[in-house]
Amino acid sequence: MVAPGSRGEVALFVTCLVDLMRPSIAFSALKLIEAAGYVAVVPEAQTCCGQPGYNSGDTAAARALARKFIAEFERFPYIVAPSGSCAGTVRTHYPDLFANEPEWRARAEALAAKTFELTQFLVDVAGVTEVPGDFSGSVTYHDSCSGLRELGVKQQPRTLLDRMPGVKRIEMRECEECCGFGGLFSVKYPDISGAIVQRKCDAIRGSGAYAVALGDLGCMMNIEGRLRRNGDELTQVIHIAELLAGDVGGQG
Amino acid sequence: MSVRDDILGRLRRQLGRTDSTTLAARERVEATLALRQTGPRAAADALLDRFIERARAMISSVDRCATEAEVPAHCADWLRGHGLPTTVVVVPALAALDWAGAGLEARVGAATGDDLVGVTGCFRAIAETGTLMLCSGPQSPAVNSLLPETHIAVVPRQHIVADMEAAWAEARRELSAWPRAVNFVSGPSRTADIEQTIVLGAHGPYRVHLLIVG
Amino acid sequence: MHFVSRVRQRLDDPELQRNLKRTRGRNAASRAAAVAAFPDFDAVRARATEIRASVLRDLDVWLERFEQKAIERGATVLWARDGDHACDLIIDIARRHGVRTVVKSKSMVSEEAGLNAALEAAGIRPVETDLGEYILQINDNEPPSHIIMPVIHKSKEQVSELFARVHGTAPKTDIEELTHEARAVLRPEFLGADMGLSGGNFLVAETGSVAIVTNEGNGRLCTTLPRVHVALTGIEKVIPTLEDLATLLRILPRSATGQAITNYVSMLTGPKQAGDADGPEHMYFVLVDGGRADLLGSEFEAMLRCIRCGACMNHCPVYQTIGGHSYGWVYPGPMGSVLTPLYQGLDKAMDLPHAATLCNQCGVVCPVSIPLPELMRTLREKQVERGLRPWSERIATKLWAWVAARPTLYALGTRVAVRYLRWLADGRDRIQVMGVAPGWTAQRDFPAPAAKTFRELYAERRRGGGQ
Repeated sequence: MVAPGSRGEVALFVTCLVDLMRPSIAFSALKLIEAAGYVAVVPEAQTCCGQPGYNSGDTAAARALARKFIAEFERFPYIVAPSGSCAGTVRTHYPDLFANEPEWRARAEALAAKTFELTQFLVDVAGVTEVPGDFSGSVTYHDSCSGLRELGVKQQPRTLLDRMPGVKRIEMRECEECCGFGGLFSVKYPDISGAIVQRKCDAIRGSGAYAVALGDLGCMMNIEGRLRRNGDELTQVIHIAELLAGDVGGQG
Repeated sequence: MSVRDDILGRLRRQLGRTDSTTLAARERVEATLALRQTGPRAAADALLDRFIERARAMISSVDRCATEAEVPAHCADWLRGHGLPTTVVVVPALAALDWAGAGLEARVGAATGDDLVGVTGCFRAIAETGTLMLCSGPQSPAVNSLLPETHIAVVPRQHIVADMEAAWAEARRELSAWPRAVNFVSGPSRTADIEQTIVLGAHGPYRVHLLIVG
Repeated sequence: MHFVSRVRQRLDDPELQRNLKRTRGRNAASRAAAVAAFPDFDAVRARATEIRASVLRDLDVWLERFEQKAIERGATVLWARDGDHACDLIIDIARRHGVRTVVKSKSMVSEEAGLNAALEAAGIRPVETDLGEYILQINDNEPPSHIIMPVIHKSKEQVSELFARVHGTAPKTDIEELTHEARAVLRPEFLGADMGLSGGNFLVAETGSVAIVTNEGNGRLCTTLPRVHVALTGIEKVIPTLEDLATLLRILPRSATGQAITNYVSMLTGPKQAGDADGPEHMYFVLVDGGRADLLGSEFEAMLRCIRCGACMNHCPVYQTIGGHSYGWVYPGPMGSVLTPLYQGLDKAMDLPHAATLCNQCGVVCPVSIPLPELMRTLREKQVERGLRPWSERIATKLWAWVAARPTLYALGTRVAVRYLRWLADGRDRIQVMGVAPGWTAQRDFPAPAAKTFRELYAERRRGGGQ
C-alpha cells in the first residue's frame, strides 16, 4: 500500500458532461486517484476539451478551447479524465489542431503524452492491483469507441473489475461495436442512432448481466436512456469509476 | 490539349512538380522497378503438404501419381469414378501423352463451349494459397481451364513454389515472351452473391482436380 | 430525395431490415477469422499502405510508365476526363469494331459513369455477368448496395420471383438452382458477345497489365472470349511491380470476404499474340479521372489509396443499419461518405460526412490504413469553412465555444442548465420529451442530471473542510 499522496499530483479533467450530469463520477475518480497514492487536483477554470466543436468541423472553436485546456493542465505531471473520448481528443487530436503552429504543437504533444483515460492511468501508469470498492453482481463491459480505438483501453477496465471479488464478469457479444451515440450524431440522426443503440441494448440484455459498465458518460446516457425507453428498469448502467470506487449498490 | 495531357498536367500541378522533382520522381520509379521490393512473404518449407492442404481448402480435389506417363490413366479413373464424361479437351502442351490408351477420347486444342472436361498443365503452383498459375500461349490456351465444367490440372511436383513472388521470379526467368493472360486459379468457380451462400460453378468449372506428378 | 428521408424509408422497410440482419456481421466475422489465421497481417497492411502511398507520390510518372508498357504490348490507352467522357470513348470503340453486345464484369467506375444507360442509348446492349450485377440489371437497372456484394440487400425469395418473371421459369427457392439458372442464361452471352468490359483492381506498371480479381470466373470469360476487351478503371489504380501485386493480393480478399485468395486472379497484358488460340484481338484501357486528380496532394489524398475491398462498410454500424442505397450515389459506407462529396460536390452530400459516429471501426480495418473518420471530420470542416452549415448550428457552436472559454459564465450556464433539466424531469429520474434536443428523446429517455453540478458540489466540499 502506497502512502496517501506520496506519488505526486494528478489533475482530474472532470469533463463537461460529468460536471453537468453525473458529478458522482468525478468524485469516484478522485477517490480512485487518491487511493492509488496521488494527490488529486481539480483545476478550477476547466470547462470542455473542445471535442463538440472539433467533431462539428468548427476547428477554430476547438483550437481556442484546446489552447485554454493546454494552459490550464500542462503544469501537472499527469492529466486523467473519466472518459475515453475526452482523453482521446487531447491525446490524439490536439497535436493535429496545431499542425501549423510549432510552439503550440510541441505543447500539445507534451500534454498528450501525459493524458490518460482513468482505467488506463490506474493500470498502465499507477500499476494499481487493488481497488477501493467492491460490487456484488454480474457485470458486462461495453468498450466505448474512442477509448478502445484511439487509446487502446481494452484490458485495463477488465483487469480492475477482476480485482473485485463480488464481480462476475460476463462478455456481451460484439462488445466493441459502437453504441450509436457519436455525440451530436445522436440528435442529428436519431433514427439511425436509435437502431444502433437498440442492437447494443439487445447485446447487453443477451449477456444476462445485472449491470453494464462503461467508461464514457455519453455512451452511458445513450444506453441507459434506450433501456429505460424500452421499459427495462432493471439493467444497471454504471460508469466504471463509480463501480471501482464502490460508490454504487450491487445486486441484492 | 489532349485529355491525357490535361490529366497528367493536373496531376503534376497537384504534386507541385518542377523539372528537378520530375527528374527525381523518374529516378524513384526506375529504382522501385529495379528493386522489386517484396513485402512479408509465406514460409518456404513443406511446400507439397501446404499446397495440398490449401488446395483442398479452396475445394480443389488432389491426387498424386509417380510419372507423367500415368497421368491419362489417373484422369480416366478419376472421371469414371465420379461419373463424368471421358471425352476431354487437352492443351497442346500435353498432346504427347497416350490419352487413347487410357480409354479417353481426347481432342488436342482450345476448348469450346461444348467441351465438358478440360485438361491443362500449369506453369507453377503456389503452396501459400493452393493456387495454379496458368500462362496462356499457343501450347496452353486460357479457355481450357475456364469453359469446361470440369478442369483437371497436371501439376509437376517440382513446379510447386512457396508464393506468388517465387512464381513471378520464375516467370521472368523462364518465359521468353510475357503471356497475354496469367490466370491464378484456386479451386472451382463460385459465388456468394445471393444471401452470402456459397455456390460452386458460377460461370467457370464446377470442379477442379489437381493431379500432382512426382 | 433527402438523405434523412431515404434512411427513414429503409428503416421502415421490414424486408430490407430482415435482409440486412441476415448478413450483418458475417463479413466482419470472416475477415476476423482470416486475419487471426494470418500472423503477418499487420505487416502486410503496413506494406500495402506504403505501396499505395508511394505510387501516389509519383502518380504522374507511374501512369506514364504504365501507359508506355501497355502500348508496347499492343494495348491502346485512352484517358477520360470523367464518367461521361469514358462512356463516349467506349461507345466509339464499340462502333469502330461493330459491337452489338457488351458482356461486363464488375466495374464500379462503370457505375460512376452510368455506362449501361449510355450504351443502351447508343443502341449497344450491355449484359452484366457478375451474378449480383446481373440480378440488378434485370431488376430495371437497380443500383448496387455494396461495392463487392451488390445484392446483399436482397433475399433469395426476391431473386426467385425476379428470375421467374424475367426468365419465364418456374420459381426456385434453392440458391444453387438460382445461380445455375443465371449461369445457363449468361453462358451464350459470353460466347456471342463482341466486346468484354472489365474493371481493374490494379494496373501493373512493370508489365502494362490489368489485374482482375473475381470468384465467379465471369471476369475471365469477359476478357478472353470477345474480340474486344476494354478495361475501365480509375487513374489511381497503378501499382509498381508484380511483387507489389502479390502483397496487395494477400490483403484485398482477406479484407473483403475473409478469403486467402479469390478463385481467380487474372493478369491481362495486351491483346492476343501470334499463335494464341484465344484472347481478344483488341485491348483498350480507359483510365478515368472523374475527380481523382484533384485529390492528389490534398488533405484527402489518402482516399486514393482505396482498393475497394468493402471492409469499411462491412464494419460500419451505420451502413449495417441503413443499407447501401441510403447513401444516394455509387459508393456507400464510410468510403462512400468520403468519396461522394469529393466526386459529386460538397453541397450535394451534406449529410454523409455527419451521418457517422466516428467510431473508427472502418479506419481500424482498412487494409491501406485510410483514416476514414478523420477524412469525414475534415469534410465537416470544409462545410463550415464554405459556410454550408445551417446558420442555427453555426451560431450554436460559436455560442457554446464562446461560453466555454469563460469559466465563470460557463459555471453559471451549467447551474442554470441543471435546474432547467431538473424542472423538465419534474421529480422523475428521466426526461421523456426534450424541446432543445427532440432527436434525443425521439429514440430514448434523457437521464435527469444530479441536483447540482460537480463544480458546485466540489466547491461545497472544499468549503466544508476539504475532506
